[in-house]
Amino acid sequence: MTILCVRFQLPPMYEAALPELLGLIEEFTPVVEALPPDGALADLRGAERYFGRDAVELASVIRVRALALHGVDCVIGAGPGPMLARMALRDARPGLTRAVPGGGEREFLAGRPVAALPGVGTATARTLCEYGLDTLGRVAAAPLPTLQRLVGAKTGRELHERANGVDRGRVVPNGVSRSLAADRPFDRDELDPDRHRRALLSAAGELGARLRAVDKVCRTLTLTVRYADRSATTRSRTLPEPTAHSAALTRAAYDMYEALGLQRARVRSLALRAEGLTPAEQASHQLTFDPVDEKVRRIEEVADRVRAKFGPRAVMPGSLAA
Amino acid sequence: MPGFTHLHTVSGFSARYGASHPERLAERAVERGMDALALTDRDTLAGTVRFAKACAKAGVRPLFGAELAVAAPAPGGAGRTETSVRRDRRRAPVRGGAFVDESAPRVTFLARDGARGWADLCRLVSAAHTAEGTPLLSWPDNHADGLTVLLGPGSDVGRALAAGRPDRAARLLAPWREVYGGALRLEAVWHGRTGTGPGSLRLASRTVGFAAEQGVRPVLTNAVRYADPGQGRVADVLDAARRLVPIDATGELDSGEAWLKDAGAMRDAAERIVESAGFRRDTAHRLLEQTRATAAECLVDPEDDLGMGAVHFPEPHLVGAGRRTAQRALASRAAAGMVRRGYDRRPGHREYWERMHHELDIIAHHGFASYFLTVAQVVDDVRHMGVRVAARGSGAGSLVNHLLGIAHADPVEHGLLMERFLSKERVVLPDIDIDVESARRLEVYRAIIGRFGTERVATVAMPETYRVRHAIRDVGAALSMDPAEIDRVAKSFPHIRARDARAALEELPELKELAEETRREEREGRKGRKGQEGGGRYGRLWELVEGLDALPRGVAMHPCGVLLSDASLLSRTPVVPTSGEGFPMAQFDKDDVEDLGLLKLDVLGVRMQSAMAHAVTEVERATGERIDLDAVPEGDPATYRMIRSAETLGCFQIESPGQRDLVGRLQPSTFHDLVVDISLFRPGPVAADMVRPFIEARHGRAPVRHPHEDLAEPLESTYGVVVFHEQIIDIVDIMTGCGRGEADRVRRGLSDPESQGRIKVWFAQHAAARGYDAETIQRTWEIVEAFGSYGFCKAHAVAFAVPTYQSAWLKAHHPAAFYAGLLTHDPGMYPKRLLLADARRRGVPILPLDVNGSGVAHRIELVSESRKPRGARTWGLRLALLDVHGISEAEAERIAEGQPYASLLDFWERARPSRPLAGRLAQVGALDAFGANRRDLQLHLTELHRGARGGRGDQLPLAGGRRTASAGLPDLTSAERLSAELGVLSMDASRNLMDDHRTFLRELGVVSAKRLREARHGETVLVAGAKAATQTPPIRSGRRVIFSTLDDGSGLVDLAFFDDSHDACAHTVFHSWLLLVRGVVQRRGPRSLSVVGSAAWNLADLLEVRREEGLEGVAARLAAAGGGQEGDDPGGGPARRRLAGSDGRPAPAGSAARDPMEQRTIRMSTGYEMHPWADLRPAGEGPAAGRKLWHQSPGSAG
Repeated sequence: MTILCVRFQLPPMYEAALPELLGLIEEFTPVVEALPPDGALADLRGAERYFGRDAVELASVIRVRALALHGVDCVIGAGPGPMLARMALRDARPGLTRAVPGGGEREFLAGRPVAALPGVGTATARTLCEYGLDTLGRVAAAPLPTLQRLVGAKTGRELHERANGVDRGRVVPNGVSRSLAADRPFDRDELDPDRHRRALLSAAGELGARLRAVDKVCRTLTLTVRYADRSATTRSRTLPEPTAHSAALTRAAYDMYEALGLQRARVRSLALRAEGLTPAEQASHQLTFDPVDEKVRRIEEVADRVRAKFGPRAVMPGSLAA
Repeated sequence: MPGFTHLHTVSGFSARYGASHPERLAERAVERGMDALALTDRDTLAGTVRFAKACAKAGVRPLFGAELAVAAPAPGGAGRTETSVRRDRRRAPVRGGAFVDESAPRVTFLARDGARGWADLCRLVSAAHTAEGTPLLSWPDNHADGLTVLLGPGSDVGRALAAGRPDRAARLLAPWREVYGGALRLEAVWHGRTGTGPGSLRLASRTVGFAAEQGVRPVLTNAVRYADPGQGRVADVLDAARRLVPIDATGELDSGEAWLKDAGAMRDAAERIVESAGFRRDTAHRLLEQTRATAAECLVDPEDDLGMGAVHFPEPHLVGAGRRTAQRALASRAAAGMVRRGYDRRPGHREYWERMHHELDIIAHHGFASYFLTVAQVVDDVRHMGVRVAARGSGAGSLVNHLLGIAHADPVEHGLLMERFLSKERVVLPDIDIDVESARRLEVYRAIIGRFGTERVATVAMPETYRVRHAIRDVGAALSMDPAEIDRVAKSFPHIRARDARAALEELPELKELAEETRREEREGRKGRKGQEGGGRYGRLWELVEGLDALPRGVAMHPCGVLLSDASLLSRTPVVPTSGEGFPMAQFDKDDVEDLGLLKLDVLGVRMQSAMAHAVTEVERATGERIDLDAVPEGDPATYRMIRSAETLGCFQIESPGQRDLVGRLQPSTFHDLVVDISLFRPGPVAADMVRPFIEARHGRAPVRHPHEDLAEPLESTYGVVVFHEQIIDIVDIMTGCGRGEADRVRRGLSDPESQGRIKVWFAQHAAARGYDAETIQRTWEIVEAFGSYGFCKAHAVAFAVPTYQSAWLKAHHPAAFYAGLLTHDPGMYPKRLLLADARRRGVPILPLDVNGSGVAHRIELVSESRKPRGARTWGLRLALLDVHGISEAEAERIAEGQPYASLLDFWERARPSRPLAGRLAQVGALDAFGANRRDLQLHLTELHRGARGGRGDQLPLAGGRRTASAGLPDLTSAERLSAELGVLSMDASRNLMDDHRTFLRELGVVSAKRLREARHGETVLVAGAKAATQTPPIRSGRRVIFSTLDDGSGLVDLAFFDDSHDACAHTVFHSWLLLVRGVVQRRGPRSLSVVGSAAWNLADLLEVRREEGLEGVAARLAAAGGGQEGDDPGGGPARRRLAGSDGRPAPAGSAARDPMEQRTIRMSTGYEMHPWADLRPAGEGPAAGRKLWHQSPGSAG
């Protein structure tokens, strides 16, 4: 019962506030794993003895500090392992920390649907339910070989262990792995490829600017197209080199969009997400003999400065100005 | 000022393009002072007949034409080939599908030289449809002598001009000129658009200039899409629906100018065009003059050239006449039939001979002999194929038909009259319909086409028109509404006309919620977003929905009509292939076809015939006993005992709740009683107060009365009550002596109030002249008048009663086979699960699905052989593989062929079912024979599947041996089994689904259907069950009554909900599947019982509340819903007591509170008044559990 799972109640698009909140938890333990956009796992094994309080009491302290310092409320679950802490979080409310006692894991899990277990996705859950294994209690009771036949050897073994309350996960301090997103909704069903590209251009520009503002580069770009019937298509592309260069992001976004070949699809929104963020100084950049690339980057730098001084609409691509 | 003729006008028949009906266009043309109007629909001539008739009525000369997509001349061609190459390279979209290809240039063709022009037009339209995909006229087919061609902005020449390439336009014009020469026109259109695109002034002036330069005559048109200004928005919706995209508010919308402009406006347009082309303003009259001259050349007369009013039968040599005339051949075949059936040796043979010669005279008089021979030929062919066939309709009244083998029943014996079918006085095409097995209907079509050839045979089109649900879907999609929202709104509507959308929203109780929402949205829209006109989520939705009313949105093959003509069919009718089977299909619908004098034979697929055929084959397969249904003994006591018990579920024509009620009261005991029963169960006889007196007289509770002893003979068989058309004909004939042919004309005149007055005078005069006294005349006239044209043609009823009796006989004697047939061919109004429940009640064992026992179709199986010497063997019903959800015919056949299977592995390897199918089979227990529980089987199947996919085909994942090892998975619980059965088979095969809820129902004190039979009249009861059928048929009082049937496992409960309970109940009744209903028992006879509902709850909801919150929760729910807050007096008001068909008295005039519906009752041509929302398919959706678990059908359609 030494792992906490904390979820801050951040308004959306305020993920930038997460590092500060993580710092708050780091005052108690160095072993903190960020769960972007708004959560964290903390291992309080050492802290309990150091502070002389148990995890639940520490959870209250964290909540009080978060409210006092940042005005952000949070929900906390506690358990013997990260998985159980996460599951406990779902039962918790602000002010009520849900804790799974050591030794009570099986009872805690037994009545829950299989899909509640972290690591069980919709596909696995569907398979298990198809065979009548709809609660974790039943999964725990099923013979291990049968489970392995159902979902594969490794997954089956893990599933069996987890359903029996064996949590082998650890909290891995990471701190940085985060992402940025830019969403461009349309107010009606939009079919026009020109307007789609314009939305992508502006979203990629925004992502680039935001990345550069925090001195980060991203490794992967993800495009999510949402349609009128509330379904969505997602495509993801790993960039040739980590970058925050708007032109490179735009190119990647266009490529993904073109590959979809949309014609009559009723698009309601286009969203880009930059993932795998790393500090800009750690990024490598392939130099070329072509001076154009160099110039474009320098112009971007200048434009960034102009925007910083005269506002975000001071400099923008011509096709967005209209 | 001379009028202007619009040469380019499309109607709604241009599916999803034109926005006005041809009638509207013709009316407007007259109002705006035009003398002629062309109809040039896109790719179709389907509107021609309606247009011609409308023009004749309005007094304008119709011009006929069509607008076709045209391919470029072969090699040097540009346009389409270029674009199509580019299109092929285009990536397939991951979502939403590709754009609809409308790139082909379009050209307008007008028929010029009478019949020749029309034939050319038909040929071109037919040719355009020969290619796959969208209609496109290939260049080699693009030639005709009798057509005028308009090259407008949409043509390749027009496009080149729009692109500013007169040089290219000149090059493209050359091949057109070569083919059409002087018949070529260049069409200028001005819709006030800017730029140089279609509809712009610059393109119009370029066209006129180009025409002058090239020496081609220009014409002015308005490319009309709708009759009135302001319909541009509807055109936008149609464009969006056609292209399957939303309306792009920022893109190019309809100009709003493409309406039927009057001469003045067109002259202004002409002036603007010539001026901007650089000519003097007065040259405009030359442009108009050219237009007028072009119109004047296009002379096609609807009567002479389209063949309206003439008749065309297949050539006599094709129908077995050889070199004789058709009449001679017919006479000799009829005589041969006489001998074959032995009528010439009967005592009354004179009567037969006389009747035959009389009928032959009438046929000769009209020259219809080929028609009879044609039908006889078709029936013979069908019979040779081993397909069950029966005649229906008034044709059964003709002895010649009977002798030719077309009709089964002997008309002389049943008192059927030829005159009801055909007489010298009536000049209409006779109408013989034949019923065949539905499962083999297409086979029959192929045989007919094979016999007469594609140049003489075509099926008939059936335009699908916009009704409210489709209109909402298309408008909603065009307006970018949320698909889920559209779906919800559309589904909450019953199947009514689109133009009634707003009225229904106001008036129908089950739409109250939606109406509230709309009003709220509108208010908020007006307040919140002032800038947006209309505002709100629904915006202009309703207005546009109503604008789409009844416009054709597609075309399908008519389910029964087949055209038979001589070899000239293709020059009189455009014929296109149907999408699925590729049958030739005329573009005209069934009414048009009659107007064009084309012979239509209705070949109806009747599922009951298929079911009976299946039952007979099953009996023969299992027992070796061969049943000839056409020769089953008449008057079988067991059959009539079954019918009288009113347990007639599944029997042809007498299975509906109303019919079961009527049968229970009428207690039929002979074939004639069945005929009467079928005739009585029509809105007409119900309205004419014939049911009750008939039943009273039949059971001896009222005396039989005749107005005069002369009328005793025709009225004797029906206890003095007029039931049949034939009786009216006889009465009029006897009283006036006018002859039966004339009497039939009189009968037809009765439905029209105007002619009724004249007939009354005529009737009184002639009857008086024959010496009848005034009182007799008065009383007879009252009968005749009351009867109006409501009654039923006895020939129809006799034709119907034959399969009714046959199916009842099967049910009484071979119940298992009967249910096997029914379930296989799914006839009737009830869902399969109800038939299964009925079978269970009648003691037919239901055998579960088993891959080793089940066939493709339902089969019968010997369950137990009793030791008694004779008969008494119990046959069970084995469920069919085809009922498994998602099984293909090939899969089912493969499984059936490979039987028996020794083990799961054996089954998997030889039957090769798809993985999901095998899973479903395991779920419903079809694989139980292989051991292990159903979930273990699933797992084994998955592994077999993986093994096969992974290429490990030869490695056996299972240990040898027959039994499958257990994997330790939990087995399906009993509730899960039931839901699997419902999900996979749509039937609760192992037990009734209501059985699970017994405890709760006992808690509530619900009366079971079985116990309800003992309930007192007027008792208030609770009933519950799964909804089986819901109808809102037209009934006597002009009110809307919802009839519903519940099945609770022990039997059926028939429910009726009257107006006063609709507010509280309608929505629940339509939209829930399990119902709990409070109502009052209505009893009208020992076997006749129904419950008049006053409150209804969704039982599924209550069950959930019971499970989660206990009885207190249920109580809270009942208290909140207060389903029966309105007056709940036992016995009900007068309205409640008056069930449809149970009471003939007129509605209490004035006593009822002012009903807003009163002014809206629909008066049908028969004089019968109908509630405006009656007789429509109610809204409602199935539960999540099943696909089609119950069936809703419209009420009987008079």
